[in-house]
Amino acid sequence: MKSRLWLVALVTAFVMLLIPPYAQTPAPAAAKPFKIAVVSDVGGRGDLSFNDMAFKGGEDAERDFGVRMVELVSKVEADYVPNLTTAARDPDVQLIVGVGFLLSDALAQVARKFPNKNFVGIDTFSQFIVKDKFPAQYPLLNLMDIVYEEHKGSALVGALGTLLAAQYNKPFIGGVFGIEIPVLWKFEIGYKWGARWATEWLAKNKPDKAFKYNTGFVLWTYTGTFSDIPKGYAAAKAMYAKDAVAVYNIAGPLGLGINQAVQEIARARGLKTGPPFWIGVDANQDWINPGFIIASMMKRVDKGVYFATKSVKDGKFRGVVKQINGTLVLGLGTKVAGELTEGISVSTLADLNEFVSMGQNAEKLTGKKVLPASPADIRARVKAMRDAQPPWVWSAVAELEKLIRDGKVQVPFVFTKPDIEKWRKELG
Amino acid sequence: MKRLPLPRPLIESLVTISIGLVAGALLMLLFDYNPVQAYRALFVGAFGSLEDILETLAFATPLMLTALTFAVGVRGGLFNIGAEGQMYLGAIGATFVAGLLPLPPGLHLAAATAAGMLFGALWAVPPALLKAWRGVHEVISTIMCNWIAFYLATYLAINFLAEPGRAERTAPALVTARYPVLTEDASLTAAIFVALAFCLVVYLYLWGTRAGYELRLAGENPDAARYAGVKGGKVILLSFAIGGLAAGLAGATQIIGRPPAWSLYATLGNVITLGFDGIGVALVGRNHPIGGVLAAVLFGALAHGGRFMEYHAGVLSELVRAINGLIVITLAVPELWMLARRRFSR
Repeated sequence: MKSRLWLVALVTAFVMLLIPPYAQTPAPAAAKPFKIAVVSDVGGRGDLSFNDMAFKGGEDAERDFGVRMVELVSKVEADYVPNLTTAARDPDVQLIVGVGFLLSDALAQVARKFPNKNFVGIDTFSQFIVKDKFPAQYPLLNLMDIVYEEHKGSALVGALGTLLAAQYNKPFIGGVFGIEIPVLWKFEIGYKWGARWATEWLAKNKPDKAFKYNTGFVLWTYTGTFSDIPKGYAAAKAMYAKDAVAVYNIAGPLGLGINQAVQEIARARGLKTGPPFWIGVDANQDWINPGFIIASMMKRVDKGVYFATKSVKDGKFRGVVKQINGTLVLGLGTKVAGELTEGISVSTLADLNEFVSMGQNAEKLTGKKVLPASPADIRARVKAMRDAQPPWVWSAVAELEKLIRDGKVQVPFVFTKPDIEKWRKELG
Repeated sequence: MKRLPLPRPLIESLVTISIGLVAGALLMLLFDYNPVQAYRALFVGAFGSLEDILETLAFATPLMLTALTFAVGVRGGLFNIGAEGQMYLGAIGATFVAGLLPLPPGLHLAAATAAGMLFGALWAVPPALLKAWRGVHEVISTIMCNWIAFYLATYLAINFLAEPGRAERTAPALVTARYPVLTEDASLTAAIFVALAFCLVVYLYLWGTRAGYELRLAGENPDAARYAGVKGGKVILLSFAIGGLAAGLAGATQIIGRPPAWSLYATLGNVITLGFDGIGVALVGRNHPIGGVLAAVLFGALAHGGRFMEYHAGVLSELVRAINGLIVITLAVPELWMLARRRFSR
């Protein structure tokens, strides 16, 4: 008897729960709400790089355009399609952002199903999938892939690391990579190419510091993960043990593992600043351990999200898609409709503040301490570190940036297996 | 009034689920969310429309199978937690046949499915033999086999099955080897019918045949089974083999029965943890093949509906996972209690 009462209560409760939560009367005749939805990759929030940068772009758009951002964090790969679909079914959502290479198939599928919604993929190649499978629909006008010239930015930090190796007379530079996907080949070969360029620059301009590039100079490891921080620690530790002057983080949150390896050395030797250094990625990560991150290769995912939101708001999204054939390239000196629209740079002191506030936000969100020191202190220590390096190091990097911008040198763009094999033979 | 003919386990489960829901609600109140709104979003998200129901079932499909692996183990007196590794190998087998062997339509799909099941069963052989011959405890051997399977599957996926130009995943299943998608609006494919049929067959086998009876007897009361002349080794092999077939099929369904990738990611990201999740599903489903199907639907609902808690009620994604975890734990308690009691009373 008792159990049946339970049952009745439960059934009633379930039935009540089935009444749709969004069936309330809509607000009368307000301006049509504009929402953007950000569907993250499995990493989600808190990586202080790739995914967080996408959310930052959404937050900047909220602030400047009065849009509202909704978030969907993918827990497993099987969530991509349902997450994108959930967002697309919301009548207020006008733009859906899929963050990460692995969402390409899902974006191509869902964008075809919802022709009235706009879709953006970061690092994706959805339009190529459309071209391959449905050539008549290519380019899909409601879908934009945003890709970055990581090879160029990586060349700059590769050169920076190599110049520091010359300055401090160290034998290696290193790179800790995530999962071996073609996007990362762009980073890898760019980095090595920049290192070789720097040795040539030294031979011409600093013969006393010059050394010859060899295929063993850049140490590199693919850890096979974008989330397992201890693997980043292990890979970096081995590199620093060989006396590498700087290790480039190309694995998002694994940078925290690299940082831990640096921190151990710093503590053991009582260092206040590098060498050894590490090099940040995606965001400006220089604040994470001021004095030990020589610079970051910034890939402005936030600017991509911001730009896409702005073009939807201005009603220009589909025009842009048509004009660029579905794929927006953000890099050094890249333009959209004659207007400079960049997305790659080496971090400077000037843009540090923006990212320190990203750390402050993370502190608010998690209630845990994220910033290693006060913002003013961070700034002072990063500045001191930069000033401690000889000026020719920075001017050489600036020179390479100018050469790349002016098209005087070509950084190899590697995206296929035969290419990566060829370049690894040449550069190590 | 007539009493509703409800089996005791179902009533227990309904009671525990309400305890779990209340616990989750308290957690949400603690973090300043509206639990009623959140639960509504969860339920409507999971069951509110046909496409959502189908999506929920798509998440449930592999879980009912990996649950079966654990359930058949427990029924035969084993603690087989090797579904994870067997499922990886099943995915590899299906990928190989579906992606690289061109076969005529119809036959191709059947061959890819069979290959997945066979690979899964083969991966269950070493721990089964070790247990039957040398008495090696299956928990140890299956955990080790899981890790070996992980690295083996990754190795095979990257070096032999990769799609040229797309290093992140294997060559996709050819169109002839794909289960048809039921509607354009959801990820569910006809693979679910194969999964359901397999669960049903195992149920009929366990409760309708002599060999199935012997298997259950060996699990319930090993001494009585031995006295009755049941061969322990045979039961072990049988229970591992059925479990391996089920786990292999689970892996295969994610390759040839789930859009849009139709392939295995080199990180194994689209199959990873499905085997371990099956243990929870089996416990909730009282280690019964049909109970496992119902529990898998519940897990599928949490997996699919969870995103609506995040989306419509704004609940932080980590908290959604915590709430789902709470519900699962409370649901698993009755069966865990029973298993523990049986262990300690021996």
